[in-house]
Amino acid sequence: MNGLKKEIKMGREAILESIKKNKPELLTVPEIKKEIFAEDINVKEVFKDNIVLVGGRIKEINIETIDAEIKESYAKAKRIVSTSSKTTLGTVSVSKDTDPHTLEDIDLAIVEGELGVSENGAIWVTADTSIVRALPFITNDLVIILDKEKICLHMLEAYDIISNRDRNFGVFISGPSKTADIEQCLVVGAHGAMSLTVFLV
Amino acid sequence: MKHSEKAEIFNKDEAKVNWHDKALWYVREKRDNSAHKVQGWEYLRELGSGIKANVLSNLDEYLIQFESNAKKNGIHVHWASNAEEHNEIVNSILVKHDAKKVVKSKSMLTEECHLNPYLEKKGIEVIDTDLGERIVQLAKEPPSHIVLPAIHKTKEEVDVLFQEHLGTKPSQGNPEYLVSEARKHLRNKFLKADVAITGVNFAVADTGGVVVCTNEGNADMGVHLAKAHIACMGIEKIIPQEKHLGVFLRLLARSATGQPITTYSSHFNKAEEGKEMHIIIVDNGRTEQLSREDFRASLHCIRCGACMNTCPIYRRSGGHSYDYTIPGPIGSILSPGKDLKKHSSLPFASTLCGSCSNVCPVKINIHEQLYKWRQVIVKEEKQPVIKKAVLKTAGVVLSKPGLYDFAGKSARFALKNFPKFMIYNKLNAWGKARDLPEVKNDNFDEWFKKRNKDG
Ligand code: SF4
Repeated sequence: MNGLKKEIKMGREAILESIKKNKPELLTVPEIKKEIFAEDINVKEVFKDNIVLVGGRIKEINIETIDAEIKESYAKAKRIVSTSSKTTLGTVSVSKDTDPHTLEDIDLAIVEGELGVSENGAIWVTADTSIVRALPFITNDLVIILDKEKICLHMLEAYDIISNRDRNFGVFISGPSKTADIEQCLVVGAHGAMSLTVFLV
Repeated sequence: MKHSEKAEIFNKDEAKVNWHDKALWYVREKRDNSAHKVQGWEYLRELGSGIKANVLSNLDEYLIQFESNAKKNGIHVHWASNAEEHNEIVNSILVKHDAKKVVKSKSMLTEECHLNPYLEKKGIEVIDTDLGERIVQLAKEPPSHIVLPAIHKTKEEVDVLFQEHLGTKPSQGNPEYLVSEARKHLRNKFLKADVAITGVNFAVADTGGVVVCTNEGNADMGVHLAKAHIACMGIEKIIPQEKHLGVFLRLLARSATGQPITTYSSHFNKAEEGKEMHIIIVDNGRTEQLSREDFRASLHCIRCGACMNTCPIYRRSGGHSYDYTIPGPIGSILSPGKDLKKHSSLPFASTLCGSCSNVCPVKINIHEQLYKWRQVIVKEEKQPVIKKAVLKTAGVVLSKPGLYDFAGKSARFALKNFPKFMIYNKLNAWGKARDLPEVKNDNFDEWFKKRNKDG
């Protein structure tokens, strides 16, 4: 181990030295002119279309009816984890100490999204809102609840809000897990959630 | 073996070649549709290219900044000059955790370092978890494409592989059935894994975090269940600030598969409580490429695969014919820098039509670099006689400013307008049984006459 450590240190110095010697003259970082990406569109409607495009479902609902709406969409779900206070449907509770392996047979996870992106139907979910990081991935089906006021036009706007925040883990989720690795046939439900329903409230 | 010889093997099954060609062209078309929908797409590409140029010009400082921010967040940072060091570091982390089972999410870097055979020799089970990667792993083959690793396999072939290795029922290649069986098989692996290894799509200097993009969610299933996460990155994966992800995430998936974004874009900033996160920063020839002025822009590459999907040679020769971790146009630029002798035929595996440069989201001048490598190789390597002759002609056209202008300032013209005997000759395996990109030869005579007159 000692020998290895020494080598690793040499790796660092050698790499940095070699870069210094070989890099081109300093070029400035381009400034991002966001106005070039400006578009006069209904961000909410485009967001909805894009959710469908990426294989998800979306419903705009009234917050009072959310339990009924989720029940209707996922009638068979029994083991449900909800980390959102907006619904009372959770049947399995989790905390920061929950071993993610125990979530292996969760039918449905309900989490809150922090913001949505119109251009691609992506929703920002962090470890703060999912409590257990594995939850949105290991669950069979996923529901994300999102405030309809919180939809950005594009990714650059989204990063204006989220960049450089203190964070452990965050993920943009755009639709259910999918793969096209077998002859380019798109199949929904690879390793992560087999379905995604977004409830806009 | 030369690229053209390997391509010839692939070309034996003509039906499959046609199918491969079509499958990739379909992805290319999806890319076009997707890119056209973005307001300011060309400006976005310029930004991507400009940010990457800045990165290369300040790479050492960004890496130091990245390291210090990552360490502040409790991440262990390692540096590896080459593949051996990289593999040893991975192993030392596995030893520390007494890990016997590893799940890996797609990483061309670990492929480049031949990590799997190294770990397997030490008795460690390494499972590739991206479905395409798992398919080629079962078939004991390397990936043939950087985004679509099993694009060369038909569904019937996958069916047979799964029957043999996963005990599935014959399904005549039913994709839904095969994916659901793979899901069960891999879920079991995720639940039992000790350590998860992932690649890195972007490493952010001002946060010290890394971003990994997948459609399947395999990186997350691995990382969030295992005790430790090892993220392996080439030094060129750095971007200056987190807000720049807003540029690259808009470019990446659209260029790769035509999706507006991958299903999951995961930002790993700190290890989960009670777990460990390691990042290995790898050189393995990259600083050498940085020293080559003509070729350094190849380090802009964000590994979207668009240049492969559009390349008429790649589509009709298959990724394995390149015999290099990164195939296709970009691989043909990266590989000669690694081993000029071994890969000297790759820069010739191109029509120089320029399609690769046209689709590249970070505006790498791929076809120009291919042409430049040819010049280097012709000087340094012995060439077969006829290839030399063809090259000479290309050289003549491209070296005379007047003619070059006449040719529309593009190597494309010259190559498109070569007479058939030059393209479809015995030594040029490309010409066999196929048409190169739509070629109109009407202008050739005129051009040829003028060329003779102008001397
Ligand atoms: S060279 Fe450009 S087009 Fe090719 S894989 Fe890299 S980024 Fe994509």
